[in-house]
Amino acid sequence: MSTLKEIWEYRTMIQSLVHRDLRGRYKASVLGFLWTFIVPLCQLLVYTMVFSVILKSNIEKYYLFLFVALIPWNFFSSCLTGGASCILQQQGMVNKIYFPREVIPISFVTGAFVNMLYCEIVVFAVSILSGVQFSLLSLLCLPVVMLVEFVLALGITMIVSAVDVYFRDLEHILGILSMAWMFMTPIMYDISIVPEKYVPLFYLNPMTSIVTAYRDILYHGTVPKLETLGMAAGVGLFFLILGFAIFGRLKRRFSEVM
Amino acid sequence: MDKSENVVIDVRNVKKKFRIYYDRSATLKERILFQKRREYEDHWVLKGISFQVQKGEAIGLIGENGCGKSTTLKMLTKILYPDAGSIQMKGRVSSLIELGAGFHPDMSGLENIYTNASIFGLKREEIDRRLQEIIDFSELGAYIDNPVRTYSSGMYMRLAFAVAINVDADILLVDEILAVGDAAFQAKCFTKMQEIKKRGTTIVLVSHSLSQIEQICERSLWIEDGTVRMEGLPRDVHPHYMKYMFQKNHPEEVPETEEEEQTPAVGESGEDANRWGSREAIMDQAVILDSDGRKRSCFSPQESFTVHIDYSSKEEQANAVAGLAIYRSDQTYIYGTNTLIDTSQPITLKRKGSIDLRIDSLPVADGRYSIDLALHRPDGFNYDFWKNVCEIQILNNSQAPGIIFLPHHWEVH
Repeated sequence: MSTLKEIWEYRTMIQSLVHRDLRGRYKASVLGFLWTFIVPLCQLLVYTMVFSVILKSNIEKYYLFLFVALIPWNFFSSCLTGGASCILQQQGMVNKIYFPREVIPISFVTGAFVNMLYCEIVVFAVSILSGVQFSLLSLLCLPVVMLVEFVLALGITMIVSAVDVYFRDLEHILGILSMAWMFMTPIMYDISIVPEKYVPLFYLNPMTSIVTAYRDILYHGTVPKLETLGMAAGVGLFFLILGFAIFGRLKRRFSEVM
Repeated sequence: MDKSENVVIDVRNVKKKFRIYYDRSATLKERILFQKRREYEDHWVLKGISFQVQKGEAIGLIGENGCGKSTTLKMLTKILYPDAGSIQMKGRVSSLIELGAGFHPDMSGLENIYTNASIFGLKREEIDRRLQEIIDFSELGAYIDNPVRTYSSGMYMRLAFAVAINVDADILLVDEILAVGDAAFQAKCFTKMQEIKKRGTTIVLVSHSLSQIEQICERSLWIEDGTVRMEGLPRDVHPHYMKYMFQKNHPEEVPETEEEEQTPAVGESGEDANRWGSREAIMDQAVILDSDGRKRSCFSPQESFTVHIDYSSKEEQANAVAGLAIYRSDQTYIYGTNTLIDTSQPITLKRKGSIDLRIDSLPVADGRYSIDLALHRPDGFNYDFWKNVCEIQILNNSQAPGIIFLPHHWEVH
C-alpha cells in the first residue's frame, strides 16, 4: 500500500518519462510527431495490398479485420519483449538515484499504451471509412477493453522486467514466445475456425478475449462478449497483483546485479 | 531524550555483502552444466557501521577507495539495502549522486529541467515554483530553450547541478560532485551548499577533498575496511587519516610507532616515517613562536610568526642548507624555501646552535597547515629531514572561499 502511495507521489516522474519517450522518439526527425500516424497507415497500406491482391482471403475487408486486432497486439507484444529490458535500459538511473522502481515499467507500458491510442485513432478512422456501423453501447465498451489490456500488459511487464535483470536470456526467450503467442491468438484468423475442442483452451489466453473484443467493436460494430472479457480482466488483475509482488521482492537487489 | 528526537539519520550496525563470482555463469546452459561450480565469495563491504546524524548537522565520510563510503551513501539513498542492521531516515531525502539523470539530448533545457526534477520526486507545481531559480542558477539565460545536445559540457553540468541543488530536501546526500564547472561556478555551488546548510538541511558528504569537508562539515567519519575507524571533528580526524594514507603509500618507510603525541625522540633507534637523514646534524626541537616569543600554533593570516629550530651537529658543517615547506592538510604544497634559494650561500652549522625563520604572514584560507623542515647539503644529501614537525592553524573569521587570503579593503562610492 505504501508503495502505491509512493508511486502516486512520483506521478510527475511517470508523466515526464512518458512524455520524454513519446516526444523524444521522433524529436530530431523532420516529420516528427506525424510518424506516430504514418507508421500504422503504411502498415495498413501494405496489408491491404497483400491481402486484397496476392493473398486473397475470404474474410470480408480482411485488411480491417487484421488491422483492428494487430494494433492492440503490437502494444501487448512490445510490452512483452521491449518491456523486459526496460529496467536494464535505465540502469544508469537505477544505480544512482532512488525512486520507486515500479515507475519504470509503469512509464514504459503507459508510453506504449499512449502510442497505441494514437494508432487507434487511425484504426477508428479507417473503420468509419470502411462503413462499419457502430452502436453507442459498443463504443462505450472500447475504453473498458483498453483498460483490461493495459492492466494485463502492466502486470506482465512488471514480472518480465524484474526477472530479466537477473536472467537476461529472458528477452530472447520472450521474442520467441511472443511470436508463438501471436499465432495462438486469433489475430490473423477468426476464433470461429478454431476446432471446437480447442476453443476453451484458447480462451485461457486472455489476449484471445481482448483481441476478439476489439474486433467485435471496431470491425463488427457489436458489443463484445462480456463474460470472456470479464475473465480476461480477472486474469489481468491476477497478473498485476502477481507482478507487483514479484517486482517488489526483486527490486531490492537490482542495483547489485546490474 | 531531546537529543534522540533530533536524530534524522540513524544507522545501526549495518552490514552489507557483495557476491564476487569467480566467473559468473549467467546463461541457462552454464547454470545447468556447472551447477556445482557456482563458486563465489562473499565480500563484506560493510562490517557493522553505526552512526547518527542530528538535524541540521553536516558530516563528511572519508576513506580510501573501496572502503565502503559510497556503499554507505547508496544505502542511505535506498539504492542498496543492508543485509543486516537498520537504517532510519526522517524527512525528504535528496541525493546529489548522479547529475543530469534522464536528460534527453534532443529536448530543450527547459523540458529537461522538468524530467530531471521529476526524477528527484518533485511534483509539477513544485517544479514550476522553482523554475526561475533553477534557470538563474544555471546561468544559461536564453540558451534554456535550446536542445541540450547543443550545450557545452560545462553548460550541461551547470543545468544538471542547478536542478539537483534546488530540490529542497531535509536530508541532502552528496557524492563527489562539487567538482563541476569552472572555478567561479564551483565557488557558487559551494556557497549554495552553505546556504542550504544554514537553512537547517542535514548533509552527508562523501569527498576526497578533505578541505571541502573541513569547510562544510562539523564531523568526519573515517571509514576503513567496512567499519568506522574514527569519528570526530574534521581537523582531529583528518591528520590521522592523512598519516595513515601516507604510510600506506610509502610502505618502504618504517611505520611510526604509536607515540605520536610527543615529539618523536631523535634516538639512535633509526628513522621513523616522518624523519630521515644521515643525522650528522639534527634538529633537537622546532617550535613556532609568535611575535612576543611565546609558543603558539594558531594565527590569523596577517600575523607574523617565527619558526625556531635548535640543532646540534657532530662537527661543524660549513656547507649546509636549512629549508622549510608548508603543506595544507590535504597535502597541497603551499610554499617552500631554503637558505640556498634565498641567499645563494651555504650556511655554517655549529656544534650547537639555533636557526630562526621569521615569516611575516601566512595569507591562506582557514585550515591546518603542516611544516616540514630539513637540514641538508646543497647537493640534496639529507642530514635531517623532518616531515610534519609542527602544525600551524590559520583562523580567520571570514567565510570567503578560495585557497588564499588576500588582504583587502572595500571602498564603495
